[in-house]
Formats: sequence, structure tokens, C-alpha cells
Amino acid sequence: MADIVNTLFNGLSLGSIYLLVALGLSITFGLMGVINMAHGEFIMIGAYMTYVMQQIFVSIFGKSGSLYYIVAIPFAFLVTFLLGCILEKTLITRLYGRKVDSLLATWGISLILQQAARSIFGSQGVNVTAPDFLKNGIKLGPCTFAYNRIFIIIMVIICLAAVWLLMNKTPFGAQMRATMQNRSMAQCMGINSKRVDCITFALGSGLAGVAGCSIALLGSVDSTVGQNYIVYSFMTVVLGGVGNLLGTVIGAMIIGFSSIIVEAYQSASIARAIVLLIIIVFLQFKPKGLFVIRSRSLDEE
Amino acid sequence: MKLKEKLKGRGKHICFLVIVVILAFCPFLASSTSMVQFFGKCICYAIVAIALDLIWGYTGMLSLGHGIYFGLGGYAMAMYLRLRDNGGSLTDFMQTGGLKELPFFWKPFLHMPLALILVMLVPGVLAAVLGFFVFHSRIKGVYFSIITQALTWAAYSLFIANSKYTGGNNGITDFTSVFGSTRGTANRGNLMAMFFTALLVLVLIYILASFLVKSKFGKLLIAIRDGENRTYFSGYCVNNYKNFIYTLSAVLTAIGGALFVNFNGSITPSQMTISYSITMVIWVAVGGRGTIIGAVIGAFFINMCEYNLSSGALADIWQYIIGAIFCITILFFKGGIVGIVTEQIPAWIRRFGRKKEVV
Amino acid sequence: MKKNLSMKIKAALVTAAMLVSVTGCGSSGEKDGTVKVGLLHSMTGSMAISEKAVLDAEKLAIDEINEAGGVLGCKIEYQEEDGASDPSTFATKAEKLVDQDGISTVFGCWTSSSRKAVKSIFEDYDALLFYPVQYEGMESSSNIIYTGAAPNQQIVPAIEYLIDQGYQKFFLIGSDYVFPRTANMIITAQVEAAGLEVVGEEYADMDQTDFAAIISKIEEAQPDVIINTLNGTSNVSFFKQMSEKNYTSENYMTMSFSIAEEEVATIGSDILKGHMVSWNYYQTTDTEKNKEFVKAYKEAYGEDRVTSDPVEAAYDAVYLWKAACEKAGSFEVDDILAAIEEGGISYDAPEGTVTIDGANHHLAKPVRIGQVGDDGLIYEIYATDGPVEPDPYLETYDWAVEAGIKPLE
Repeated sequence: MADIVNTLFNGLSLGSIYLLVALGLSITFGLMGVINMAHGEFIMIGAYMTYVMQQIFVSIFGKSGSLYYIVAIPFAFLVTFLLGCILEKTLITRLYGRKVDSLLATWGISLILQQAARSIFGSQGVNVTAPDFLKNGIKLGPCTFAYNRIFIIIMVIICLAAVWLLMNKTPFGAQMRATMQNRSMAQCMGINSKRVDCITFALGSGLAGVAGCSIALLGSVDSTVGQNYIVYSFMTVVLGGVGNLLGTVIGAMIIGFSSIIVEAYQSASIARAIVLLIIIVFLQFKPKGLFVIRSRSLDEE
Repeated sequence: MKLKEKLKGRGKHICFLVIVVILAFCPFLASSTSMVQFFGKCICYAIVAIALDLIWGYTGMLSLGHGIYFGLGGYAMAMYLRLRDNGGSLTDFMQTGGLKELPFFWKPFLHMPLALILVMLVPGVLAAVLGFFVFHSRIKGVYFSIITQALTWAAYSLFIANSKYTGGNNGITDFTSVFGSTRGTANRGNLMAMFFTALLVLVLIYILASFLVKSKFGKLLIAIRDGENRTYFSGYCVNNYKNFIYTLSAVLTAIGGALFVNFNGSITPSQMTISYSITMVIWVAVGGRGTIIGAVIGAFFINMCEYNLSSGALADIWQYIIGAIFCITILFFKGGIVGIVTEQIPAWIRRFGRKKEVV
Repeated sequence: MKKNLSMKIKAALVTAAMLVSVTGCGSSGEKDGTVKVGLLHSMTGSMAISEKAVLDAEKLAIDEINEAGGVLGCKIEYQEEDGASDPSTFATKAEKLVDQDGISTVFGCWTSSSRKAVKSIFEDYDALLFYPVQYEGMESSSNIIYTGAAPNQQIVPAIEYLIDQGYQKFFLIGSDYVFPRTANMIITAQVEAAGLEVVGEEYADMDQTDFAAIISKIEEAQPDVIINTLNGTSNVSFFKQMSEKNYTSENYMTMSFSIAEEEVATIGSDILKGHMVSWNYYQTTDTEKNKEFVKAYKEAYGEDRVTSDPVEAAYDAVYLWKAACEKAGSFEVDDILAAIEEGGISYDAPEGTVTIDGANHHLAKPVRIGQVGDDGLIYEIYATDGPVEPDPYLETYDWAVEAGIKPLE
């Protein structure tokens, strides 16, 4: 029983992490079809911003305490949001209709950002201490649930809810969905699609920053941390179906649970290979993911 | 006049000829054997770039996982060379892994002809099977890129996890080239033989690729790139064409990988990583996609820059430069270096000329 | 061809000049008064995290030697090359250094894969590599000097110590690459020879970020002690996630072979407090030489930087090379190797006196078991009496010979 509860919790927690890192990508990919290879580096920036905020608190109050983390989340969001804005204005906007090219250009950006992190923060990783309220875990019977993992699950729910509300209950969301479904028609209706694109891309980047805050507590914070998550984020988005929040949620959970379950019986490397192969096989039957936005357009990619 | 007309439109082939001639003289001019070794590796990269260009530049399928084919070709060759050099006995990593006899899939690599066939057969079959399913379910665009990426990652994990069969992340080391050791002045003859073999393969592959893209088949590939559905409706079975070119590309990449290990003296799973695969795409993009010569130029240009610029204090800056080159090429010079020469510069000259006229 | 000929003439002239004055600087046609060495490490990519500090230590040693008058009256110049965390780039760059740039001595590499990729290059070109990191052993190249620990100078004594302390059930966890796999093979043989039990063996992916499944397996196995050979960044994830589940060193003691002061700094001493590690050197090692070394290192690179075993081994490497050159009276590889193989090249290192073993090119060095303290530093809790002789193939251990650990090839 304890085993099952443990596995379920671990799967849920891993799924949430994948969901958090993939959420931003799902939005940008869904709206613009842009595969942002620098998404991982935005996660890294978010993690480093947590560190920066911690250092600021240490230098002002002498210790980081708990509050720094609460401040770090909006701070990381803001920084990555602005960076996303800049990236969109300078690069992505010039690459409309050239999706594959935008993938390659953002790869160049990711190289630059990684090196920038090394230049600014040094090659060695930095230490982000968990805030007091996220240290350790709560013990219920034979199982221990880490506060941090619970926090990530809550965070994902908040982010999901926020994105859902934004997309479905606000005028901006309506514009976003309209642009997503039929760009030229939306433009005809007077939607400033450029503005929509810019804000959406920035939003996706901002969510990556928030994900970075959570990642910072789970592992190492260094220049290559984003690379560890990028392929899983892509797989999550593709598996779920582009531009569909529910699909991304299910996609992330499938990957999270299957990783944990396979890893219980196999070594980690084999588990990863198996999960990736399962996804590849799955996509043979559902080439556009679990949930597809139906369209009559023939040459849609 | 006649000559000029004849030359017209063949500038790219002439350019390739010039590169080949320069390369052919390089072993005699280079001051050190390491320089020749390095150019040998560049030739292998150029082969890979041509292979990638065929599917990306001409057919519009961006593979972000060609590292797997490069690696498979390399491993197949390395397995043969390793067994040849130690007389067919167990390798050190197999002993460390507790194996008592040679695994069955290593046995074919005891024989050279069989090994050479497998260099091409294994990646070819894998690509054909993957291609069959992927193209059959009409996966294309970025989805195709992501699937190839995932496959490469899976293969990378498997190669590392099965260290008693593959040498893990150390890969296969301690072997000499097909012709024997190529290092040092004493082995210059071997190096020459290896270098010119690679050069010959490059020339042959260049001719094959140029012939392919010139033929009706090549036109079809471009048609698929520019309008896949229209090609369908014109009555062509697009899947088969795509699968054929993808498999061919995989085989050519594997040949590049197999030649590469001869110069490198080792093969590791690092050659199967995603970032390495994307680096290959960078060569094509910078050189100029959709032109065979562009792929060759790009592979040489990027690698030579990296060879000379990534040392000392420049190493840090080099990352910025390579990132910037990449962004700028994609943004402003879609045609890469070839595009700059054939389109941008003539355009500037024309604009400049027109301005003068106005004045 | 012409260039080649002129090179040969140049080389001949230089050799002639060397014969006249034995202490002549500049092998293979370099400027007078300087000798050039190569530094080959990953400055970019995933290994830059670890290798940058080692590179810094080597530069520090070179600067110190230059300030003190150089080697054989020559100033040391260095050329840095970036291995970019990719073994084949290491191979290309190694070849560039030793052949094209005519540098005969290189300090470099960290991972076993990079060392294996360059090994045959140093052998074929007859150049010299100083390798500064502890590793899995089972190697003894004629052209490599291993200044880090061989398995019997880190792993074997640590396990012996644990067995003495009464630990009975061992759980082995490592990253999926060659060092952990070989180390665990050795440990399994050693533990089983002592009649004790290995209750689990798990390998994480090199860039694994989630350890929940592995931690569950540890909980199930209920070991007394976890033997940890995870690599740099995975260590951070593993220990952070252990601490999430309220586990400290009191619940599960760990013995780590890849956690040095730098890793403690990135993981946090609050999490690592009380855990054990095994190395030859700690920043707290109590020798006069070490105080100077730590001071110099911090002055050069900042108060917040820490020294660690690989850093110290890299620093020693440069001084050992200097000692070998001085004994040989030459910068030529063959002379240096002859001097080394005669034996007795030693250096009063921060960790204590280290001596190059002429036969297998490893160092005789002291072994120390340490425990992480509250302040993020590691404190010695056990040390061997004097240096331990290197034995890369574990030929002097009966249990290792019985288990057939040494590869036949």
C-alpha cells in the first residue's frame, strides 16, 4: 500500500514538474508554432533569478529566510517575461511562417544564454537553499510527502488555472485563441496579432521562469540545467497535442507516471529510452497528439 | 564566349573542384600531421552535411537526430577496428562488465567486408523502418524534428546504459585506422592513404548528390518541400520518395561517421547527442541549404573557425560568436554563405550600380 | 614539403643547441627563455562546472613557478584549449597541441572518456599528459602521469574503514558511466570478500534530475550505508531530494567519492552535514604547505572559492612536472619519462609528500576519510599512516585477484 501511494505521489510530482516546464512551451508552440529551443535557458534564468533574490536578501537581512522565495517567483517571472518580450521583438517576429528556422535561431540564442550564465555566475553551480517552509516533508504513516513537491503541485495548479482563466475568460484570451485558430481571419477582425504574439511569447517565457524557481530547489543550478528538461518539454507538448491545455496536462502526467513506474523495474537510462520509444510509437497512431484542434486547412503544420 | 556560357551555372561545381584541389594539396603543404588529420575529419563532416542537406535543404525535413546515424556508422567501424587491433579477443570494457565471450552482434565485425556492409546496412535499415512508420502516419514539420530528436536521445541512453557491450560513455577507443596508425611522421603514408580515401568518398558522394538533385527525382524532392499535398495530388507516392531520401541520407551520414573514427581514433556516445546533431544542422544552415556546395563550405567553415578560435581566452567568446553567427544567418541570410555570394552580393552591386546611374 | 623540411632543420638545430647547453629552454623551436605547456580542459559544456577550478589551479601553480624564477631558468607559458565536454573534441585539440603547436607536456582532462580518447594520441606522438583526477584505475599508460587517486587510494580504504566501523549492508548508487560501474564492481568484490552484503546497485542517468524512484528503491532495501559515485550535478539533485524526505546522515549514512568542497558549497552544508567522503586532500588538511596553498588560491580567485582534492592534484601536477624536468635537466619527454621511471620524483604537496611511482606513473599519496562539517568544509576523521602506494590494477589485494578485476587485455 505504502509502495503504491509512494509511486503515485512520485509520478504525480514528476508529472507536475514536466507540466510546469512544458506549460510555457505549450502556449508559444500552440499559438505560433514556434519551437523555442531557448525555453530551457529561460528555465535556467528563472533558477538563477531565485539565486539572485536569495543573495539580495542575504546581503540586506543577513540571511535568506523564507520570504525571499516568495519574492523570487514574481521576480523570475518578470525577468523572463521581459527577456521573452525582447526575444520576440528582435528575433521571432522576423521568422513568421518559418517555423523550422525559428527553431534553429533560438538554438543560437540558447548557446549565447548559456555562455552568458557562465560569464556572469561562473562555471560552477550555485547553491539555492530551500526556504524554511519548504524544507523536509510531512510524514503520514510509512510515507513521506516532501513540502517542496506539494508546493510544486500547487504551483502547477495555480499556473494552469491562471492560464486557463486568461485564455477563456478575458478579452485577450479570446484574441489569443482567435489568432491561434485562424491567424488571417483574426487579423481581418481587427486583432493586433503582433501584439498578441509578443505577449503570448513573453507569457510562455515567464512561465518558464516560474518553472526555474521550482527546479532550483530540486537540483543543481548551473548553466546547463535547462538542457535537462528541454526534450521532455517538447515531448510533453507534442504528446498532448498542440495548443491544448488539457492535452499538455495529460501528456505530462503520462510521461511522469510512466517514467516513475518503468524506473521502479529498470535502470534510469533504460527507463528513459523505453519512455521515449513509447512516445514515438504512440505518435505513430496519433501523429498530432492526444487532442487536435480540428481544422479544414490542408497545409497546416 | 562559348567557354563562358559553358561555365555559367556551374560555378558551384567549379567551387567544389577548387576545394577538392586545395584539399588534395593540403597533405603536402601542411606543416603537421595533426592538420591533415583535422582536414580529414572535416571531410567526414562535409559528407554528413551533404547528407543532411539532401533531406533538409531539398526535401524540407529537418532531422535533429542525425547523430544517431553518424554514431552507428562510427561504432560499426570502430568495432571492426578494435577487434582487428586486439586479435578478436574480448575488449577491456567487456571484461569489466563480466562477459566471458564476444557478444553475438560483435562477431560479424571480425570480418572486414561484413563490417563495411554493416556500416551502411544497420543505419539504413533503422532509417528505413523509422521512415516507413513516420512518413506513413504523415508526421512532418517540427513533429518530425522532435521525433528524430527523441530517438537519438533514446539511443544515446541505451548506448550508455549497456556499457559492457558498447563501452558506455567511454565508447570504443584504442584502435588505429583501416590503414594502420596515422599519427606522426613515420606513418605519413597511412595518413595519406586514409586522407585520399576520404576525399575520394567525398567527391563520389558529391557527384551522387548533385546528380540526384539534378534529376527528375531531385525536382520531385523540391516539389515535396514546397508543396507536399500538391505533389500527392499530382499522383506521386510522396511517402516512398521521402523514405528513400531519408534512408539514403542516413546511409551517407553513417559513411561519414565510419570515416571519421579512422581519423579520430575513438567513438563515444557524445557523437549521438542532440546538441551534436544540431551542430550538424548549423553547418548546413551557415553554408547555405539547398545547395550541395553550401553544405560542404559550411562544414569546413564552422569547423575551421572552431578549431582555431576555441582556445585560450577566446573559448568563452567563441560561444557568443557561434550563437550570433547562427542567429544572423537564419535571420538575414537564409541562403547562408552561398546565398550571400550568389544573391546578396549581386543584389548589392546592382543597387550600387543603379544609384550611380541616378546620380 | 618545404615547410616540413625547414621544420626538421629547425628541430635539428634546436637539438644541437640543447646538447651544447643542457638547460636550454624551448623544445622544438620555441622562443628563448620560455617553455610552453598545454592546458586542455572543458571550458564550455556540461563539464565546465568541474573543470574550470582545476584549470585555475594549474594556472596558479604556473604563475607561482614563474614568479619564483621558472623551471630550469625558463618561464612557463601556457596554451589553453577547450575540450567542450566532448571526447572527440578533446582528441582533436590534444593532437593540435602536441603535434601542430609542438607542445610536449599537457595538463588536462577530467572525465575518463576524455582521457581514454586522448590516451593513444599522447602515446603515438610521445607526449606527456598529467591527469589530475581520481579515477577508476585499470590503466597505466606510458605517457600519462596520474596525479589523482587510484582506486586503492580512495575507494578501497574507504570501504575498509566502513567495514571496520561495523556497516553491514551497502547500497551502491552511481551515475551511469564508467567510473561508478568499475568502482562498484570493485566495491562488490571487496564487500563480498568480507562476507557482507550489497543490497542494491542503481545507476542514474548522467543528467538525471528526479531521484524519487531511486530513493524509493533505497527505502525498500534499508541499507546501513549508501556508497555514492554520482557525478557533480546529480549529487545536488540526489541530496536535495533525500533531504526533502527528512533523511539526514543519521537515517542513511553516505560515503561519497565525487563530493568535494565545491560540491558541498552547491548542495549546502545543512543538507550534507555528517556525511562521509573519501579523498586524499581537504581544504582543512593540516599542513604548513596547505595553509599557503589555500591562501594563494583564495587570493587569486576570490574568498568564496574553495580548494578541493582535484584542484590540489592539478596544482601538484605542475610542481611534479617541474621536479621531473629539473631532475632530467631537460624538457624533452623521453628525458622526463626516464627521470620519472628512475623513481623518487616527489613534491611536498599540500596533502603531504607525494611521490611518482616509476613503474605505474601514479602517485603514492595519503588517504583521508572526511566528514562534512557545519561550515561546509570537510574534516578528516581517519587518515592512513603515511602515503599509500598506488596499485591501479589492485594486484596486491587477494580478493581483487580472486574476483578477476584486472582486465586481461
